[in-house]
Amino acid sequence: MALGALYAKAAVGAVLPGRGKTLPDGEIVREGVAVDLGHLADYARVCGFGLGDILPPTYPHVLAFGLQLELMAARAFPLPLPGLVHVANAITTHRAVRVGEALDLRVRAERFAAHPKGAQVDLVAAVSVAGEPVWDGRSTYLARGASAPTGLAGTLPDLSDVDGPAAAVWRVPKDTGRRYAAVSGDVNPIHLNPLAAKAFGFPRAIAHGMWTAARAFAALQGRVPDAARYEVLFRRPLLLPSTVELVTAHPGASWTLTVRAGAGTTHLTATVT
Amino acid sequence: MAPKKSSVRQAAVIGGNRIPFARANGRYARASNLDMLTATLDGLVARYGLAGERLGEVVAGAVLKHSRDFNLTREAVLGSRLAASTPAYDVQQACGTGLEAAIAVSNKIKLGQIDSGVAGGVDTASDAPIAVNEDLRRILVALGAARSAGARLKLLGKLRPGQIVPEIPQNSEPRTGLSMGEHAAITAKEWGVSREAQDELAAASHQHLAAAYDRGFFDDLVTPYLGLTRDDNVRPDSSVEKLARLTPVFGKGEGATMTAGNSTPLTDGSALVLLGSDEWAAEHRLPVLAHFVDAETAAVDYVHGGGADDRYGRDGLLTAPVHAVPRLLARNGLTLQDFDFYEIHEAFASTVLATLKAWEDPAFSKERLGLDTPLGPIDRAKLNVNGSSLAAGHPFAATGGRIVASLATQLHEKGSGRGLISICAAGGQGVVAILEAAE
Repeated sequence: MALGALYAKAAVGAVLPGRGKTLPDGEIVREGVAVDLGHLADYARVCGFGLGDILPPTYPHVLAFGLQLELMAARAFPLPLPGLVHVANAITTHRAVRVGEALDLRVRAERFAAHPKGAQVDLVAAVSVAGEPVWDGRSTYLARGASAPTGLAGTLPDLSDVDGPAAAVWRVPKDTGRRYAAVSGDVNPIHLNPLAAKAFGFPRAIAHGMWTAARAFAALQGRVPDAARYEVLFRRPLLLPSTVELVTAHPGASWTLTVRAGAGTTHLTATVT
Repeated sequence: MAPKKSSVRQAAVIGGNRIPFARANGRYARASNLDMLTATLDGLVARYGLAGERLGEVVAGAVLKHSRDFNLTREAVLGSRLAASTPAYDVQQACGTGLEAAIAVSNKIKLGQIDSGVAGGVDTASDAPIAVNEDLRRILVALGAARSAGARLKLLGKLRPGQIVPEIPQNSEPRTGLSMGEHAAITAKEWGVSREAQDELAAASHQHLAAAYDRGFFDDLVTPYLGLTRDDNVRPDSSVEKLARLTPVFGKGEGATMTAGNSTPLTDGSALVLLGSDEWAAEHRLPVLAHFVDAETAAVDYVHGGGADDRYGRDGLLTAPVHAVPRLLARNGLTLQDFDFYEIHEAFASTVLATLKAWEDPAFSKERLGLDTPLGPIDRAKLNVNGSSLAAGHPFAATGGRIVASLATQLHEKGSGRGLISICAAGGQGVVAILEAAE
């Protein structure tokens, strides 16, 4: 099913009775996924990566995103898809993943639990090549005001902002949400259209968190080993258009990144270790 | 470890890395010059264990270049695994770019100004720098400079629908309006280069390149890119019979001999060589494949030179190496026969053959090259032994890096000897060089 249609289905499902109370069991699996060079090139251009043989660390996330959505749009999924907020994301690259490798994708949901502000759930994706784990991703979503069993919610990474001068200034154009939606399949209307964003309480359309994260990691091209862990905490939505600053620090072998709008407004904090 | 002032040391060719060359609008259609150059640099860094190293300099260029790529090579360094403190600059001498870059780096090494460096180039004929229409560009420039609303309005009135047609890079010489192929066809005709000889050279190029891949010659020279592991233009089953069926595309009428088979196709690709002092190589436990001995450039007046009344007509656009090589040989006290390998860039098969004919022609050699005896023939078994541009393709600025790394590897395999490189370039220029096997 096209991702747009999944969104529509989820939107209708959100107002219908019969939603599950617990996470559906099992996982969604896609085997032998081949990277489409044209798609990779589009993704790389939108996010600021070069086009090379090694996939950007955030790219498998978009390969798995459709499966995540399929899981979340299902009637049995306990949280309504519209209104889910991506609050944190962690990616581990176990080794360089190359163009031309046949990727096996597995996606499941876990850690569905109560949160002071609602309910939180993790969507977990794993990529392997011929049985060898090469990439893991964990996306943490929050449903404000929703309820959940009182189990243990996943803890968010404890990341602190980097202060100091900007390493780069980004002028983020108005159509960034539409461009990233086209390459990621994440066609959540809050990224596409100011009116839709207003309906969810944002003054303007907002950038995808994973776009901001990808753009920040792209700034480290050539500086990070093939095997690394990327953790992101999404703080405040990045309204479109915006001019924001990337601040980087490189203590020891690790990197700390902050995307800020100047005076104290942090959009994203990330580490690479 | 800088040597004493004014002393000159040897510049070593330590190795090279390139990506497979791809026919234009094919496998690399979505890759930019920066993408390819960065990937090639990272491949070189991985191959020689240079991650995090500060090298003396990286020098490269591209012939077809977007204006945003003004600092192409430095940007590639910043995106690579080399230390960001490695300086870089761009050079551009049409098809001579890669070899000219290697000359620049090796000269600095010889003078002790740097201990190591990377040289080469990249080109894409797919991701071409299409620009706005020239008339439109002039209006936009004037609009930016206009000071009053009236002046702007007047300029806007000059806009015409036809100005939407963009400027597309031309493969033609600005001063003659002829394409490179048309120029080469004139030279082929003047030197009486036969269709059969051209097809023979083209078939040999394909067969040699395919055989070199098969025996693993390129294992240490090529890193796969975007799913390509070999140059996708190579046709191992190429033969004179098959090539003979093609219709000529350059030159006109009866005497036309140049086909798509004996001309290089438009290609995308990138190639780099690693150069250094012998000491630097030893410190890094890297082998020295060959030494970069000397180089010469030459240029000919292909626009007005010679002339209708001249016995030899005008100098051909791609014949400058004919002049560069005798000067290089004289300076080094060598004859044309003192080489074990000849790498003559196959812009067109006819270019190679016309060059060889010119060196064998006593009258031409005397009148045009000032030589009492011609340079004479070469042993054709030593020519482009691992294939050349007809088979591999020719991403303009990448060709020099491809040839230097391949020749150095070939000399290293043999363990002794000397090789000659000859590359013709647009604008009537030629770049030639001598490599010697390291002892």
